[in-house]
Amino acid sequence: MLRSKTFVKKTRSGGIRKIVREHYLRDDIWCGSELCTECKQESTVLLKDACIESSLCTFPHYLIPDTNVVLHQIDVLEDPQLRNVIILQTVLQEVRHRSAPVYKRLKDLIHEQEKHVYTFTNEHHRETYVEREPGESANDRNDRAIRVAVDWYNHHLENTESDGLKVVLITNDQGNKEKAEEGGLLVYKCEEYVKSLLANPELVDRLALTNDNKNDISSSKVLFPEHFPLARIQAGIKGGTFLQGTYRASRDNYLEATVLLQGLQNLNRAIHQDVVAVQLLPREQWVAPSSIVLQDEREAKDEETTEEEEKEQAMKNIADDAARKPTGRVVGIIKRNWRPFCGMLNSSLIKESTRHLFTPADRRVPRIRIETRQASSLADQRIMVAIDGWPRHSRYPNGHFVRSLGAAGDKETETEVLLLEHDVPHQDFSQAVLSFLPKMPWSITPEDRAVGVHIADVSHFIRPGNAMDLEASNRGTTVYLCGRLQSLFATLQCGEACFLFVINSKASLTYAEAQLRIDDATMNDDVTSSLRGLNKLAKILKRRRIEKGALTLSSLEVRFHIDSETHDPIDVHTKELMETNSMVEEFMLLANISVAQKIYDEFSECALLRKHPAPPPSNYEILSKAAKSKGLAIHTDSAKALADSLDVAKVDGFPYFNTLLRVLATRCMMQAVYFCSGMDSDFHHYGLASPIYTHFTSPIRRYSDIVVHRLLAVAIGADGTYPDLTDKHKLSLFFKSRGLLNEEGFILFVRKNAIIVLIPKFGLEGTVFFDGKDKTGPKLVFDEEGPTLMVEQHTFKIFDKVKVTISLDDSNIQHQKIRMSLVEPVIPGVSVPVPEVGPLSKKPKLDR
Amino acid sequence: MATVQLSEAEKVYVLHGIRDDLRVDGRSCEDYRHVEIETDVVSNTDGSAKVTLGHTAVLVGVKAEMAKPRPAAPEEGYLEFFVDCSANATPKFEGRGGEELGMELTNTLYRVFNNKHSVDLGSLCISPGEHCWLLYVDVLLLQCDGNLYDAISIGIKAALFNTRIPKVLISEGEEGGTEIELSDDPYDCVRLAVDNVPCMVTLCKVGPRYVVDATLQEKACSVASLIMAVTPAGTCTCMRKVGGGSLDPESVFEMTEAGKRVGKSLHGPLVALLSQEESLGKKRQKVGFLG
Repeated sequence: MLRSKTFVKKTRSGGIRKIVREHYLRDDIWCGSELCTECKQESTVLLKDACIESSLCTFPHYLIPDTNVVLHQIDVLEDPQLRNVIILQTVLQEVRHRSAPVYKRLKDLIHEQEKHVYTFTNEHHRETYVEREPGESANDRNDRAIRVAVDWYNHHLENTESDGLKVVLITNDQGNKEKAEEGGLLVYKCEEYVKSLLANPELVDRLALTNDNKNDISSSKVLFPEHFPLARIQAGIKGGTFLQGTYRASRDNYLEATVLLQGLQNLNRAIHQDVVAVQLLPREQWVAPSSIVLQDEREAKDEETTEEEEKEQAMKNIADDAARKPTGRVVGIIKRNWRPFCGMLNSSLIKESTRHLFTPADRRVPRIRIETRQASSLADQRIMVAIDGWPRHSRYPNGHFVRSLGAAGDKETETEVLLLEHDVPHQDFSQAVLSFLPKMPWSITPEDRAVGVHIADVSHFIRPGNAMDLEASNRGTTVYLCGRLQSLFATLQCGEACFLFVINSKASLTYAEAQLRIDDATMNDDVTSSLRGLNKLAKILKRRRIEKGALTLSSLEVRFHIDSETHDPIDVHTKELMETNSMVEEFMLLANISVAQKIYDEFSECALLRKHPAPPPSNYEILSKAAKSKGLAIHTDSAKALADSLDVAKVDGFPYFNTLLRVLATRCMMQAVYFCSGMDSDFHHYGLASPIYTHFTSPIRRYSDIVVHRLLAVAIGADGTYPDLTDKHKLSLFFKSRGLLNEEGFILFVRKNAIIVLIPKFGLEGTVFFDGKDKTGPKLVFDEEGPTLMVEQHTFKIFDKVKVTISLDDSNIQHQKIRMSLVEPVIPGVSVPVPEVGPLSKKPKLDR
Repeated sequence: MATVQLSEAEKVYVLHGIRDDLRVDGRSCEDYRHVEIETDVVSNTDGSAKVTLGHTAVLVGVKAEMAKPRPAAPEEGYLEFFVDCSANATPKFEGRGGEELGMELTNTLYRVFNNKHSVDLGSLCISPGEHCWLLYVDVLLLQCDGNLYDAISIGIKAALFNTRIPKVLISEGEEGGTEIELSDDPYDCVRLAVDNVPCMVTLCKVGPRYVVDATLQEKACSVASLIMAVTPAGTCTCMRKVGGGSLDPESVFEMTEAGKRVGKSLHGPLVALLSQEESLGKKRQKVGFLG
């Protein structure tokens, strides 16, 4: 039977078009139930004995959730306990339209065989299709379609030999519920139903908070201004009164974001990563970004607005006009970008209370209020929480518990948290991926050997479009974590095939071994002399590069010594660079540059290259300021000038100064990017001073290299790394076992109420606060020009050498962090006494 | 125009019949042939009608589109016409054969309908000087058996009656600009008043008398015809003489009076029929093109 669906649409160009779609109705759509004898279906999804122990429904029943229940309570639906669920096509389509992530989860759910979820295509079924009636809204029509489908199921299954099996509609919409009851359907609210599941009390925790119970969870005081309706926001953006952008919270200060939005009121419930509409404040209300490091350290109490106001007051520093930046306020949220957040539960002070605050691991995300009965068991676990909404009168957004990740402080758990928080794909490789592995042993046909840089052609195995390729392009890069390698390709590849075992190798040397051979004048065998030759060549190459203005910048890399049995980190060192490292690096660079030139010659339009744009002069401000504090001048006109002035920037008796300066210079740089040669005409790589560059040498680690390999293979034959994914977490595990340490460090930045200290030994940055939690902090005088900070009598300048103790602050377990306190210089009331380093519980084994 | 060849004897027979007010098919001089009308036949238009008059068949579709009002009439919408002479109607229309006739018909339609006295153009205005509705009226000739003008005008009136324009809301943007919003209910639409839309009546002078709704044979006997647009009130809004023969003032006057009379009596049954069809709603059995 043919019907047509007609609707009117506004086109992008502002026109209005009538669209007609043909819609075919069929009578061969089966119900999917095991009970049914009428339907000629080949396999069934819904079970005969659909029993869930519920005090409301004592008989076997199938569940039909409506769209809003799926959208908001997907966490409940995902529970393995809930089985025999019918998802109507109407619901599926609406979910798809409204939320892509939920739609994906729903699809996964449907594919899970254990769950017995059946999709009923009611929109194409002759008896359940409903046409929209005059005066009926699209939502009402969909609700009616759902009710008609439920009714159909009830009648359809009535005649079968079921022992009273019924179909239950789950909806949270009062109007829909009433109409369904009128029509004689069995209908419950999601909450009612879940609470009736006697065997699974923990499911209640997963219920998202709905509008009904929002009121009793928070005070009635309205804290936030209302968001504008979407239509007005769109008009405003079009008209230029509002600006649209992604809200990125500041790491240092939870009440400030980028430079635009300051203060709780002005943030107006925006959460990190949301797309928001912003209205600029009048010029006289503009403020400068504050230098205060502010963290939400408060206890879980609600009525602390006074303190809040004080903090905001403190931020509004009397800045001169030059430092003021355009300031605005959030008037509406265009798109929420909520994801489940990992973090810790902050138990309520009242024991019996079921409402608790949750502190996310990501500092840029506000705390979330959740409701749970298992607070005591969750107290020392890392858990995952999803946000449901943020009402105007609530200080915190409301959310619900999703799942527990494991005990806090456990290596497995912490690694999981890191991977989840950075959205690193870390599932095990699927069978489909593994099926593309070559059969071992595998060998290549012998060829004439040539002197050169040999890179394993991983792309030989990774054919474009196969499962392994898709997986790798999704992962993008290999992520190294403590005791865990989140690799780009499946294991066999990395472990065996890729390393050039198949090549007739003279010697396999580590960097250190090679260095020893070069240095040892007594060794004169073939391998050693050729190594020396290579080294000589590398030095020439490097000199040429530096003459052209290549920069030697510094970013500290640390190396862990891992206990061979427990795999716990036991010691940490800054990675030392040897001559051989530099030698291999030179040849790698040479290979990359040659390959870049080759693929560009061959494919001038589509070569994958990598460029590093020259930073704008304003980026160097911080560097020049820092150098000036030591009476040095840095020239930033060209890369060469910068490299030269960095080379001569030395302070007597302060050998580490140069490295510090280079660390700062790294921060001035732009991000290097991959690009396609046809898109851009400027290929210059600023840092390497090379006219052309690409990534070729690490196909095992980076997906971009695979692409380059493929290009090169045809010719003859984004930055996707994770900059925040450093090893800080491992450090905290390390410090946890080591207790207090007393280390020397240098001041990297001076803030209004704190200094940021870099400890060279661990490559670790930390913040030393001067204003204590109590209000009787020391007297602080901040001078923005220096910048310097005077604490009582002592003045802190950038690059000052200080001594600090490092400890893991686990007094506040929801947010374990590395805490630094000042030891030297001694300032009464601020610094702490030198701690005694406690004896280690286990003698550390250095280097395995 | 498609013509038939008649012998002298046949011509005399037709002529004599008309003189005695009895035409070849049994009609009197002011009678129309059997008319069939069906509206809403093309689902992707905003309004459509199919009209058969004897063996003449035309299909009319109306599509509404947003446009900027013409500078001369900032508070009015407007209509655009196009007549497609399909080669289905007669082999003569093949290739560019129908172009000349189509152009002639189109020009007449502009003169008859595209003014505020015939169609309520003011109601097509959305915001003066900014937005208005532009109605594309497309006519497709499916079969030619004489009297195209009358059939087309009945089709246009029926299609305009059937036209439903989506309702739009104009909200003042904050900066003075207007925002157009579309109602999300497809049933929420505006209809066009067709009270004053005229019908065309073609009178063919055959011998001493004249006939309405001439067949091709009668047309072959005629030397001149008068095309009139008549409103339901009986006002003649437009008149055009076609054909090589001459008409003396007396017979022009007579024919005008007859045209007014016939035109006036055409509107009543037409509107009644359209309303009746509409009142059936979804129960109406659709005939379409295969019925």
